[in-house]
Amino acid sequence: MPESELKYLKPQALAFKEEMILNMGPQHPSTHGVLNFLVVTDGEVIHQALPNVGYLHRGIEKLAEQTSYTGFIPFTDRIDYLAAMFANHVYVLAVESLAEIEVPERAQFLRVIACELNRIASHLISTGALALDIGASTPFVHWIRERECINDIMEAICGARLTYSYMRVGGVSRDISQKIVDDIYKFLDHFEPIIDEYNRLISFNEIFVRRLADVAIISPVDAVNFGLVGPNLRGSGITMDIRKIIPYSVYDQFDFDIPIGKGFKGSLGDCYDRYFVRILEIKESCSILRQALSQIPKGDIKAKVKRKLKIKENECYACVESARGEMGMYLVSDGSDRPYRLKIKTGSFTAMSIVEKVSQGLMVADLIALIGSLDVVAPEIDR
Amino acid sequence: MKENANLLFVFLFKTPIEGSGYSLAWYILFVFIIAGALLFFAANFAGITSFIERRIAARIQTRVGPNVVGPQGILQWVADGIKLLLKEDLIPDRADQFLFRVAPYFVFSGLFAAFVALPFGYGIVAADLNVGVYYIFAITSLVVVGIIMGGWSSNSKWALFGALRSAAQIISYEIPTALSLIPVIMLTGSLSTQDIIKAQGGLPWDWFVFHSPFTFVCFVVFFISALAEGNRIPFDLPEAESELVSGYNTEYSGFRFLVFPMAEWANLWVIAAMVSLTYLGGWQVPFVSIETLSGSLVLIFLSVAVFVIKTSIVVFIVMQLRWTLPRVRVDQMTQLCWTYLVPFCLVAIVGTMIWMLIFPWETRVALLLRLMMFGIGFAFCFFYVRRIRFNYFNDKTAYENLKKKSPWYPIWRLP
Amino acid sequence: MTPYFNAVATTLYSIFEGMAVTTSYLFRRPSTIQYPNKLEKPLEEQLSDRYRGILQVDTSVCIGCRICEKTCPIDCIAINLEKNKETKERFLTRFDIDISKCMFCGLCSENCSTCAIYHTKFFNGATQNVDELVVRFVDSPIVLYKHRKDSDPKTREKDLSGVIVKQKMVKQRMKKQKTAKQEMPVNKISKHKIKEEIL
Repeated sequence: MPESELKYLKPQALAFKEEMILNMGPQHPSTHGVLNFLVVTDGEVIHQALPNVGYLHRGIEKLAEQTSYTGFIPFTDRIDYLAAMFANHVYVLAVESLAEIEVPERAQFLRVIACELNRIASHLISTGALALDIGASTPFVHWIRERECINDIMEAICGARLTYSYMRVGGVSRDISQKIVDDIYKFLDHFEPIIDEYNRLISFNEIFVRRLADVAIISPVDAVNFGLVGPNLRGSGITMDIRKIIPYSVYDQFDFDIPIGKGFKGSLGDCYDRYFVRILEIKESCSILRQALSQIPKGDIKAKVKRKLKIKENECYACVESARGEMGMYLVSDGSDRPYRLKIKTGSFTAMSIVEKVSQGLMVADLIALIGSLDVVAPEIDR
Repeated sequence: MKENANLLFVFLFKTPIEGSGYSLAWYILFVFIIAGALLFFAANFAGITSFIERRIAARIQTRVGPNVVGPQGILQWVADGIKLLLKEDLIPDRADQFLFRVAPYFVFSGLFAAFVALPFGYGIVAADLNVGVYYIFAITSLVVVGIIMGGWSSNSKWALFGALRSAAQIISYEIPTALSLIPVIMLTGSLSTQDIIKAQGGLPWDWFVFHSPFTFVCFVVFFISALAEGNRIPFDLPEAESELVSGYNTEYSGFRFLVFPMAEWANLWVIAAMVSLTYLGGWQVPFVSIETLSGSLVLIFLSVAVFVIKTSIVVFIVMQLRWTLPRVRVDQMTQLCWTYLVPFCLVAIVGTMIWMLIFPWETRVALLLRLMMFGIGFAFCFFYVRRIRFNYFNDKTAYENLKKKSPWYPIWRLP
Repeated sequence: MTPYFNAVATTLYSIFEGMAVTTSYLFRRPSTIQYPNKLEKPLEEQLSDRYRGILQVDTSVCIGCRICEKTCPIDCIAINLEKNKETKERFLTRFDIDISKCMFCGLCSENCSTCAIYHTKFFNGATQNVDELVVRFVDSPIVLYKHRKDSDPKTREKDLSGVIVKQKMVKQRMKKQKTAKQEMPVNKISKHKIKEEIL
């Protein structure tokens, strides 16, 4: 460990000879990408765990200043590779509100359908990877199989399986046919019983429950103070969802609940709550998808936008409810054809800040469960 | 074994061994032959099981599994072994060189020595020790010495974690393992593996597992603690790959690494054989008494087949548990041992004593009770099959609509 | 005492349920395909028509508007146009796509008015040398396409399976290997000479 990082450790942490410093990551199997934790442990018990981020910093915000407004869309896919559609969505929302573009209603519906499919896919990885971290490898592979169906649908919609680049300023790139709508219905018919099967396999498994319940409890006050967003915040029992509070796109036309943690198996705000909120959100997404597919109107999929978009001096903030919580972009334009400044706010970055507070007194195995339940994605932290 | 050696000598050289003057040399040679045969069995079983486990795990995870090397991938384990043999034998800088080299030998010899007392059929056992059962559990504890050595000498914090977890685990689980065998020993009156099997019968209700509710509890406890002794999920804490990178064998490579997984898979046989011989009737063939069994060579081979089938079923269940369950935490592992398994065992021992006094084995009431226990077990299996059917039909029509294919693809249908 | 026994019962029952699920999968169809050896049907049929694979340029319908070059966010397309001053005909002399840079976003093909540039379903174009991934679509200057009223180039048949671009990449590689082989002995001699000079 370099000398410069030692100073962040507590002074008393190194005073006792019994404590040892464990360097977890960036090549550790369950840090979900390249993340580093400096863990001060006494045997298995953690005294302090310091997240060390920045291994995946690629300067995406700076790249935005050098590409055109349209040309930046493919870059937004790379912010969060598991939920690329939300980054697409928030970026085009920001540009549209700056350029004052009206989006056709059909395009809005297509955006919602794509986003909700992506939310399911992202939560599948999140919950499956948590089970994998706990030691059960089968649930993860079962979820990967379901995600593969979603990927096939996504491939039919926009041509890519991971980096979608589906949204455009003023609409979406491609229309969906009746065949794809039928395919999504078929997938949902197949998928909804599988959720219950998955619950029988792992969610209600007593060993799994005991590994997560009453572990790494984040109180509602802490959750707000540390700026947690999305399922992590809702896991602590706070009803906060951008889709309901600041309805963007056509989310105000759908009827859906916001699942919050209630201490399902242990106490409020533990790892199991954060895990199970995601499972419930998958079910909610399924119902939103069914509603959106049944109400989808006819019309254009893209508003008329100039090929070389120039936006007069202005600034705006747009946010969506991503799979990892509020994802916001603060966009400043200066009259040229490229953004003057872009600031991206992501959920995983704020989630890392609470690791140090919550991890005291946990065991090494619990830290893995905590990281898994926070659903951090390394490129989203560092951007 | 001495009689068998004598018989073989007579068969080969047509003279009795006593007068030949080669008796000592022949006995030593015979020991080596038996050791070689056991080693051959253990190594091959470990290899083939690794392949079969991967195939079963693949099907559980809706995959196909290794099927490229050889017909249906049957030679995959040979390829893996050769690959590891050809790798560099790496010893980390600042590692304790001597202990690092020696540790795999401890792991290997601890496991292999257990095969000496394990029976394979009627009269087919390398050494019918009169303390057989406890010999096996004493000698397999040598494995943990090797694991601690390997973890300590690697000069890696992850390996050290794995080693210390392993120590805690073995110390805890030796106790329920031993306690849960006491009812069997009380029922048999002997520690010899052959005597334990002889005391049971061929039909399911003559097995010790269905003797009373108490022995059934002990069977479950024994199964769980045998899993823990064998470092299988849900107790694979020493090499928890998502927590400790790879646990005690993080720093090993090449053939020294190969010894650890090989020992783990060979241990699978030891666990399964112990479970099947103590509680599931061992090599007892249904409707054949021991007197007729000893007379016929065909029946002896049949007994071997029965034992192998029973053991294979237990091996399969252990494998399936591994691919179903998550891993417990360290404190939960010890908590499970001391607050659940040990008290249950103690109660069950006392219960079995009282049961034995009230319902002696030969009486008609005892047989009726055993039949009832067997009925409960059968109902449990029936319910299990119903649940499997439910899970299958739960998804059937939706799957057919989605993929336009029938989901029926049983495990014996090879892709 | 009740929670104690409840815990035992729920644990055993949940393990039982999990085992029932995993056992049922032993009788259900595997969901993986065995790429690339044992495919039930060719991979091109399994991918959707919108699949964004390696780009293909149909130079015979290119109008030389350079929109694809401009919209590409990472400048992986390079186009050169030349004009014959006497006949006033315009030629396409260079249309290179650097596939090693391309991120398959689809912005170029979306804006093409004649669908001259489009994505194929060809994706496995791995090579040992990065330079070989620059596909040159123009060998000799081509006269630019002009819009006609009687035909719409968008409706023409496209090579979605990517056979043409695949052949093109293989041809380029062969050509490169040939030139590399010819250069080899020259290099050796020159190295020897340098050594001698140093000595």
